[in-house]
Amino acid sequence: MDFVFPNELNVTWTVMIVLYPYITGLVAGAFIVSSLFHVFNKTELKAVARFSLASAFVFLLFAPLPLLMHLGQPQRAFNIMITPNFSSAMAGFGFIYTGYLIVVVMEIWFVMRHSFIAQAQGSGLVAWICRSILIGNLHEDDSTRAADHKMARFLAGLGIPMACLLHGYVGFLFGSLKANPWWSTPLMFVIFIFSAIVSGIAVLIFHYMIVAKLNGWKLDQPCVRSLTRYLWGFMIIAVSLELLEVMSIAYKQTEEWEVLYMLIREKLFIPYVVLQYMVFSLIPFFLLGINSLFNLRDRIANAMVWTAATMLLVQVLLMRWNVVVGGQLVSKSMRGFTDYFPGVWEKEGIAMAVVIFTLPFGILWGFNKIVPLFPDVVARGGTTGEGE
Amino acid sequence: MLRFFVLIGLVVVIALIVRSQMIPESFGDLGHFRADAVEEAKRFEPRHLGRDVCADCHDDVAALHVKDAHARVECESCHGPGATHVAADGEGGIIRPDGKAPCLVCHQLMPARPSVFAQITPEDHYRFVGVEDPEVDCIACHDPHEPLFMDRDLRTARLHPLIHRCRDCHAGRTDETLVRPPGHPEIFECDYCHADIVDGFAERPHSEVRCTTCHLFFRESDFAGRMLRDSDPRFCLLCHREAEFRSDDAPPGIDWPAHREDMADDTIDLDKRCVDCHQDRIHPLQTRTAVGSEE
Amino acid sequence: MPHDRNRSRREVLKMLAAGSGLLVFPIGTLTASEPEASAEGAHKPYWAYAVDTTRCIGCCACMRACRDENDVPEGVFRTWVERYRIGMDGEVKVDVATGNDHVFEPVGGEVAKAFFVPKLCNHCEKSVCNQVCPVGAAYQTDDGVVLVDSKQCIGCGYCVQACPYGSRFINPETHMADKCTFCYHRLDKGLAPACVHTCPREARLFGDLNDPKSKLSVLLRQRSYRLLKPELGTHPKCYYLGLDREVI
Repeated sequence: MDFVFPNELNVTWTVMIVLYPYITGLVAGAFIVSSLFHVFNKTELKAVARFSLASAFVFLLFAPLPLLMHLGQPQRAFNIMITPNFSSAMAGFGFIYTGYLIVVVMEIWFVMRHSFIAQAQGSGLVAWICRSILIGNLHEDDSTRAADHKMARFLAGLGIPMACLLHGYVGFLFGSLKANPWWSTPLMFVIFIFSAIVSGIAVLIFHYMIVAKLNGWKLDQPCVRSLTRYLWGFMIIAVSLELLEVMSIAYKQTEEWEVLYMLIREKLFIPYVVLQYMVFSLIPFFLLGINSLFNLRDRIANAMVWTAATMLLVQVLLMRWNVVVGGQLVSKSMRGFTDYFPGVWEKEGIAMAVVIFTLPFGILWGFNKIVPLFPDVVARGGTTGEGE
Repeated sequence: MLRFFVLIGLVVVIALIVRSQMIPESFGDLGHFRADAVEEAKRFEPRHLGRDVCADCHDDVAALHVKDAHARVECESCHGPGATHVAADGEGGIIRPDGKAPCLVCHQLMPARPSVFAQITPEDHYRFVGVEDPEVDCIACHDPHEPLFMDRDLRTARLHPLIHRCRDCHAGRTDETLVRPPGHPEIFECDYCHADIVDGFAERPHSEVRCTTCHLFFRESDFAGRMLRDSDPRFCLLCHREAEFRSDDAPPGIDWPAHREDMADDTIDLDKRCVDCHQDRIHPLQTRTAVGSEE
Repeated sequence: MPHDRNRSRREVLKMLAAGSGLLVFPIGTLTASEPEASAEGAHKPYWAYAVDTTRCIGCCACMRACRDENDVPEGVFRTWVERYRIGMDGEVKVDVATGNDHVFEPVGGEVAKAFFVPKLCNHCEKSVCNQVCPVGAAYQTDDGVVLVDSKQCIGCGYCVQACPYGSRFINPETHMADKCTFCYHRLDKGLAPACVHTCPREARLFGDLNDPKSKLSVLLRQRSYRLLKPELGTHPKCYYLGLDREVI
């Protein structure tokens, strides 16, 4: 078991392609949280509604960056929209991405128009930026507010299938490759969507709690509790689906299982079996389960939920790694495995991945300077968001 | 709100116009690709030119080459692509194989090679033909353009049914003295048909030589191949030529020019081949009279 | 010269068809490279490839020729030769001469069965790489050759992932997808692909499936062959004669 086709010694899809579905997953997940508020009237989520929408937006802005870093000819990136080959799952990317970006931008515009107008008064850079965003129209009354609200609701609804499409298509892209036994399953589409929602909720909890801690805000406890339950529910679905996929291959004991068993046993034992399932799924499952079923004291509950959310962020990253890289470790000769670990300073290395993943948080900070993402907290002088 | 929609609409329209302008010429003419790419793919100049081009200058070598064991080997298989060499009017740009290694690329004994293919380990081969100096190159005996001095063109050689021998299937070179296990299909060894020749063979000086060492066999299909009987004196001399790098005893060395002069003194026909006088040392030639000799 | 060769082959074929029961390939026809046969004909050629694994000696002249003909960088391969060694206990060991000169080193150990298998792009009729290329840079010519448009490829690597045979790679110099072209630049000049041209054993054969008299067509009628991974529905156009079941 050591023969690899000679062209497979180097892994083609690097850590950048691990990062891409990870980031789009955060987009889809965060957007769905905001839509839970805007469309499904889950009012307990109001505290993070804006924050989640803005998070979805900034992550969406950076989603193509790892792809551009990975392309051999990035200057030709727009070929994907100029001469799209619609027999390819990948050709949909340009249009799905652009369409979704337009929806998210419009949604932000309508949801936050009121705040933009408030910030556009007076002079200074922020006011000037807000005036440009509003295209000079600062008029607002009850009728415009109602229209904005209606529009935001419509876009939030439209955005849900588009978010699923944007992210699910990545799953489909992997799941539809018949050449690769580790990828080739129709479940991939669904797995990616649910793991996306998990990562989206997790990143909101993770980030919200850090921001609150840094600013000394009191957390909106009902909101956190609601997010906790959503996270628990979605992670159970996501992990079940991930297990279902591998269990069904294992149980069928087809020819490809021989090589996939070796992959799981030898190559992916640590990142897949130990880390993805035993550590980063099982522990958050219990932490979130306890918090969903029992009422613990806020301090302890929040610590547990934050830990679980952070762990699930890692879990989803591990899952992306194990899918994207794991699938490429198996030689199509079915007789051996190659190896891959990114270098730190390469063009497609760890440092670049960290930079790409950190940038959205910086942009989000800038976004918050223009329009406050936690308006209720700020309005009350940083005391509390209680009593919504 | 209107301004906002107009702006977004404008961006989309501009993007669509730019996009339509950027579709490459000839895209979609033959399918979902740039039709011009097909012509572009043909534009490269070939670098391997073929033996006919080589023969334009090296007609002497080409003439030798086509009638010997390497007849099917392209010049460029050993000498590398010839385009640079031709462009430089024959000044350089070509590989001149040196030493044993280039020969062993094909002829090194390997279990994975078809057993009908000529292959050796230098040690065994040198022991077999009595070469004492391991540094001697293959070309000391074999001219790569005429490696075996075959006395007739491969193409005109006799057709012969395929000979199945143990190692044709058992590529692990199992000891050929092993008895055929019960139930094993029949194997056509040479003695199956040619028992009268092979009978006394073991007692003669060439007993260690395999039939196919001299009767070269080229497999051509699942059913048949070409059988050659090589009796050019130079073929015998491949083993028997006296040379400073080989021992005299095994196989006995012959000082060819001197031997030839002796024969001339004895007024023996110089067109005679070795086997005409020495056939008692090889095997009886009674089944068929040797070509060209009327006994 | 090409004309003579064709004529001779036709005559021989006629002879064979006229009732000679002997299923033998005249050597003269085997040395001929195929492309010129169809260049003169009115019909469109449809190129395909055959590998006779029982003939390959693993000299890797094909790999060196391919590298020299197409400037293939070190570490990536448009074609390669696999060596299979199946032990007495059934254990299968496979390796490839990937070194600079592409030369197999002899290895010890007893084997029950051993053989070489040349591999290259299968130029599938329903190629997955064409299907998945998002920008129309992968395409198939009407004579059946799968190519990459080097002015269109964005280097995303999706085709590399999609090819079940490991035939595609990202060229480390051009950063674009690259693969065997059947030496497309040689075909219309009447030359066979470089690997076929330099194979000293005619283990590699190239020809026109549209021409029922082409060497390849005749061969495929007469001998049994296997395709690689036919269950994937790619309809590969490399026909493997005498291929062992261990090869995938």
